[in-house]
Amino acid sequence: MPLLTFFINVFVPGKFTRSGFCAIASIAISLLCSLLIFIAMWNQPFIHVQTNWFTIGSWSLNVGILLNNLSVLMLPLVSGIALLVHIYSTKYMQGDPYLHRYWAYLGLFCFSMLGLVIADNLLLIYICWELVGFSSYLLIGFWFTRNAAVQANKKAFIMNRLGDIGFLTGIMILFSQFQTLDVISLFGEKGLVGNAIVTGGVWTSGLHHMPAGWLTFAGLAFFLGAVAKSAQFPLHTWLPDAMEGPTSVSSLIHAATMVAAGVFLLARIYPLFNDTVLIVIAATGAFTAFMAGTIALTQNDIKRILAFSTISQLGFMILAMGVGASASSLFHLGTHAFFKCLLFLGAGAIIHEMAHLKEKTGLDYDPQDIRNMGGLRKYMPVTFVTMAIASLALIAIPLTSGYLSKDAILIESFEWAEGKGGWYRLVPYSAMITSWLTAFYISRLIFKVFFGKFRLKEKVGLHHVHEAPPAMKYVLVVLSLFCLFPVFSLNPFMFEDAWVIQGFPQADNMTRINAFHTVVPAAVNLISVFLIYLCFLWYGSNKPAPDFSKNGLFKFSQQQWFFDKAYNTVFVAGVLSFSRFLYQFDLIIVDGIVNLFGTIGRGFARISDWFDRNIIDGLVNLIGYLAGKLGKLIRKFQTGRLQQYLVTMLLIILTLFIYKYYTAAI
Amino acid sequence: MIPLAHFMLISAALFCIGLYAVLSKRNAIMILIGIEFMLNAAILNFVAFGKYDKLHMGGQLFALFAIVLAAAAVAVSLAIILNVYTYYKNIDPTVIDQLRD
Repeated sequence: MPLLTFFINVFVPGKFTRSGFCAIASIAISLLCSLLIFIAMWNQPFIHVQTNWFTIGSWSLNVGILLNNLSVLMLPLVSGIALLVHIYSTKYMQGDPYLHRYWAYLGLFCFSMLGLVIADNLLLIYICWELVGFSSYLLIGFWFTRNAAVQANKKAFIMNRLGDIGFLTGIMILFSQFQTLDVISLFGEKGLVGNAIVTGGVWTSGLHHMPAGWLTFAGLAFFLGAVAKSAQFPLHTWLPDAMEGPTSVSSLIHAATMVAAGVFLLARIYPLFNDTVLIVIAATGAFTAFMAGTIALTQNDIKRILAFSTISQLGFMILAMGVGASASSLFHLGTHAFFKCLLFLGAGAIIHEMAHLKEKTGLDYDPQDIRNMGGLRKYMPVTFVTMAIASLALIAIPLTSGYLSKDAILIESFEWAEGKGGWYRLVPYSAMITSWLTAFYISRLIFKVFFGKFRLKEKVGLHHVHEAPPAMKYVLVVLSLFCLFPVFSLNPFMFEDAWVIQGFPQADNMTRINAFHTVVPAAVNLISVFLIYLCFLWYGSNKPAPDFSKNGLFKFSQQQWFFDKAYNTVFVAGVLSFSRFLYQFDLIIVDGIVNLFGTIGRGFARISDWFDRNIIDGLVNLIGYLAGKLGKLIRKFQTGRLQQYLVTMLLIILTLFIYKYYTAAI
Repeated sequence: MIPLAHFMLISAALFCIGLYAVLSKRNAIMILIGIEFMLNAAILNFVAFGKYDKLHMGGQLFALFAIVLAAAAVAVSLAIILNVYTYYKNIDPTVIDQLRD
């Protein structure tokens, strides 16, 4: 336990660091701590520490730290990737005028992600979830002078807000049903969710009842949160745009932190999902994977290709969650973190060089466009080798980590579909097609960038291009080691031997079908190898590749399935025209009513003004006039002459006397 | 025996003379004298009506009492007139009209 507090304490200052060294030191210490925790805690019973945060009425909210296999796996993963990205950034971001801001944001980002991982409470998870979204907003818009970056971070933020609505709705439903937000008591082995029964359309837990539809609804709401965070269809469009941030940030977002948060959330609250939600999850994952794969085929921006590849791989993870293979999903999350981080950092190194070249030669070209690259193999050998390894892992060629995890997902989804039959088979088949697409687009990228001849050679000499600086180079090498199988499993062909898989409860709802274990990897790999060869033929040299750009499907893919356009027309334009309508409504109806009221008010005011002036003022004036007259009258008596007063008194007395006398007489 | 009516007539005459003096004279001393007239008219009435109270001599006694009081009042009045004179250098009551509005 002191270890834990130590870990927290060390990490918090990382948030406020003003220099790269401090940031690296703090993230390194947190990596060390998380490794220690990992070694101590892996496959041990979970640890759960709580403290009272606040009390409302008789209900008190406890917050604390929860360390089970899931979080201790995520801890070193997140902090490890973050450390490598930090080291890489020292070179990549060198000379940026706002560097201290960059480190601070990066620290906040890592902090919120680690907090998300160890939080034991849905509310706390939500807070960290928001923090992750917010810091990613900051990082994507880091170069805030670029308009595209600002647009992109707004888009990312809004998309994430949509997901947050779902998350919050889910939290509220769960809270009203179970009166607690504690992860363990909700989703633990004898948790409330597990004990709640659905009978006859009523969802019962203890004394609380709800229509069973709410269970599905809560699951879907949480899934919406994960969809936004993990960039699934239909909220995926923020991720490619998020490429506007620095490449190291993209790498961090894509590999270990932001997008993994969605998958992590699904794993945390897994017991909540009923069959309907799981099918939705699986279908969404499969569709997203397929869609992003097709889009990645035709993109030319190196980072965009990788972004769609990430969406596609996340689709795989979500799919795995949906088919009940949460262990494989997390396994894929881990392996994907390493090779996608590596791919991004490698791409970052290339972009770095290309941008330098651009500065030196003064030519105007896009340093991220793969059509401008080529033949870089000879000049950046380390980058080439490491990226090639990462690509192989992404394609899931045997002996790499990706093979283990991706085949795990594929095989389990086949088994799941076999158990269900019918239309459910679409899911594994689309996943398989997607993995072939993966092979094609990533080898297209590799061949275009590293093979053939440098396409700008006529304009610039190649002598400027050289290997990335050591800080970047060694990071790539370290990451590439993690893409190989021994890190995860001693047996390179059997995913079930991987320690990550064994660390999680196995999905027991499907029967093991041995045929799939041989046929599926074989089919995937044979066709993948064929596709890689095809790519080599097409893109490996500078010979013109077959031109598909006239093809409708090509355009469909090039335009990213027109999602951005559709969103623009449907939502943005819709909102705009709606607001125009509201503007007109305001102008005519609301303003009209207001003006009418104004006119009526003025009329009333005029009447009351006249009334005031003539009646009220008249009365007041009359009284004043009378008082004045009376005063003047009385004033005349006040002469100050003693004798006149005496005469008056005498007259009055005489009057009274006479009056008295004569009334008595009468 | 002088009838009562004569006393009353003389007393009324004295009172009217005094009243006239008080209301018309332009000199504070004369006004004071007018007041004395009126006072004496009242005292005369006391004495005259005293014949109906021979046993206790109430009227006579009250007349004596009033005379003493009148003397004291005259002393006070004269002192006031003296002060008024030192202040205004005048004892004409029509001039001393500071009480007017």
